[in-house]
Amino acid sequence: MFGPPVALISPEGLPVERGKIHEFACAIYDDDPLYHDETAAKAAGLPSVVAPTTYTSTQAFFSDPMAEMSELGDLELNMMYVLHGGQEYEFERPIFAGEVLTSHKGEMKTYTKQGRRGGLMKFAEITSNFTDEEGEIVLRLKSILIQTAGVVEK
Amino acid sequence: MSDSIFDSIKTGDEYEITHNNFTRTDFVKYAGASGDFNPIHHDESFAKMSGNETVFGEGMLTAGMLSVVPSKWFGATSIKKFGVRFKSRLWPGDNVVFKGVVTNVYEEAGVPHVDMDLTATSQKDEVLISGSATCRPWAP
Repeated sequence: MFGPPVALISPEGLPVERGKIHEFACAIYDDDPLYHDETAAKAAGLPSVVAPTTYTSTQAFFSDPMAEMSELGDLELNMMYVLHGGQEYEFERPIFAGEVLTSHKGEMKTYTKQGRRGGLMKFAEITSNFTDEEGEIVLRLKSILIQTAGVVEK
Repeated sequence: MSDSIFDSIKTGDEYEITHNNFTRTDFVKYAGASGDFNPIHHDESFAKMSGNETVFGEGMLTAGMLSVVPSKWFGATSIKKFGVRFKSRLWPGDNVVFKGVVTNVYEEAGVPHVDMDLTATSQKDEVLISGSATCRPWAP
């Protein structure tokens, strides 16, 4: 979103990696061994270390921002005025290092609400489904965007 | 990992994590970890030009730290649902309490489930993020 990417990763997808999980868990100050210690994870019967709840945020590194933006085109949002309002995760199972996830854009919807300080706010809900290498959905992720000003009424 | 926490938990139970004195370095560490390089979170002159007193933390940093409450409390593999609403910004120097309160304990298909409300509140008594989570034991 801030400058074009230097390069895109190939093959496409969101690689869930042990080193990145360690870095991510450190950044959110979580010292749980299941995020950092492969031996502890395996001793707990898991295939590898676990991805923290919000780990799929790292998708920013692995997706094509231009493609992302064009997918949002139908929502008619003015990105100058858009805030991140919320985020909802629904897991079928935990995600582990070593997996490669693929994100599929799901339902997108918009609605307007009267803002508390006056003015119409436009809300957009964007659903992404993350599938594993077997094609099974492991995570449904909903992002809520809010456009606070410059609302164009349909 | 024991699932015994699910046997003893009851509505109203609380769990809290405090993190004091957030720094610009914390914001930069999260930017590097997550790939959110919006300069408003690390570039002082950009942040000021955009009408802010200084840089402020990524909403997803606060959200990520709030997600530590259910995962530390019930286990890293226990998260079924986690949701947040962003309310207010995280500033350098802020002290934040990340708190969970159990709102419901029930069984679904014979599996114990716990619902909780979540909040991240600053020293100014300002709610930065509110949210909720559902946990259940998960075995491979």
